[in-house]
Amino acid sequence: MVATDEELVARSMAGDAESFNQLVLRWERPIYALAYRVIGRDEDARDVAQETFLRAFRALPGFKGQAKFSSWLYRIALNLCRDWIRRKKRTPVVEMPEDVDFIEMAADQGPVESIEDLVARNEMSRIVAEGMKLLPDEQRTAIVLKEYHGLTFQEIADLQGCPLSTVKTRLYQGLSVLRKHLESQGMTSFASGRTS
Amino acid sequence: MSLMFTCDDKATLVAYLYNEIDAPDRQRVDDHLRQCAACAAEVGALANVRTGLTQWAPPNAELGFTIVRSGGSQQAAGAPPAAVLRPAQWWNTVPVWAQAVAAILVLAVSAAIANVQVKSGPDGLVVSTGWMTPASASPAAAVVPDAGSEQWRTALIALESQLREEIRASRETGVVRAASRSEVDDVTVNRVRALLEASETRQQRELALRVTQLARDMDIQRRADLLRVEQAIGHTGVEMLKQRQTLNYMIRASTTTPPQ
Repeated sequence: MVATDEELVARSMAGDAESFNQLVLRWERPIYALAYRVIGRDEDARDVAQETFLRAFRALPGFKGQAKFSSWLYRIALNLCRDWIRRKKRTPVVEMPEDVDFIEMAADQGPVESIEDLVARNEMSRIVAEGMKLLPDEQRTAIVLKEYHGLTFQEIADLQGCPLSTVKTRLYQGLSVLRKHLESQGMTSFASGRTS
Repeated sequence: MSLMFTCDDKATLVAYLYNEIDAPDRQRVDDHLRQCAACAAEVGALANVRTGLTQWAPPNAELGFTIVRSGGSQQAAGAPPAAVLRPAQWWNTVPVWAQAVAAILVLAVSAAIANVQVKSGPDGLVVSTGWMTPASASPAAAVVPDAGSEQWRTALIALESQLREEIRASRETGVVRAASRSEVDDVTVNRVRALLEASETRQQRELALRVTQLARDMDIQRRADLLRVEQAIGHTGVEMLKQRQTLNYMIRASTTTPPQ
């Protein structure tokens, strides 16, 4: 049976570092993805993810469990992202992964997705990344937390330290900017729409 | 929320878009969207943006962070010891077949540097290493089987006599000679040992250099190949996108043009 986050946290607090390593294994990719989408640099996102877990491990005795462990990690990671942006004094630069191997990607995707589809998806990814770069920090973070991490409005409000209505406004404004950007790039429709 | 949904209520529109809305409010928005084309179009466009967002994926980075205790046993209970996180060791990410190829390459390079030679002879298999040339006695030894002459036999007898003389003389002054021979042996052994160590160090250094160079060459070649493929496919992809846009435009134009 797979241990829950809470169980692993309890064992970690009792001194079992291996349990914490299981938490790291479980959450390293989401935390890295969050950092990458917020600050937009692969190497720096790795550093932020690493520092997030290091700080979490050191601060573990102070974790009282009022929030979910994942929310606590997200908070640490977002603070580090904010520090990174402030320290670097620059807007996040979204870089596309280097050495994109379409043939390898197509093999990973199986027979369903052709190379043509992969190229189109890569192009779309690039355009979305450019659009995200246009957004203010708060709007981009709200969209990332909502779209890619499935947090509720209330969870985002708690993480960003703002009212619920502000989160909705940030989401609306961010999506509207992205809409204009995508339309300006000729991207007006996709395979399927969604409303949830 | 008021009883009627209004077009400027963007907060409720976002709640509707993400389906974080209660049933009565959802019903009100649905009713409004049936009557308001502008809001319906906006909801459709924003949903479309959300679909586009799913295409943005971060790089498939190798992470593998691990907590490593540093001097954990003497840490006070309750306080986590100082720890570092290190990424996964790179060879864990290398496929098994590549590790096997690398191991074979290393062995081959090592054998080449060490000059391993296996010879079959009357004494069985002989394995030798190193670049030292055989002693100059070898050619002479090779000549021996061919020299069956009387002159050669006389020389051998003379040599035997000389050896016997020397052995006898050594017995008379055995202690002194043994001591001096021991000192010479120690010096020789030390010298040989130093030479061996220097040789091993040099060989290891050369091996490391060659392996590093090989890995670098392979990496450069791989990057160049990937770049070529990406450029070729990227160019094709751009062309395809342009063609698709042109096709879409032509379809739109053909459907909107009134019949003559």
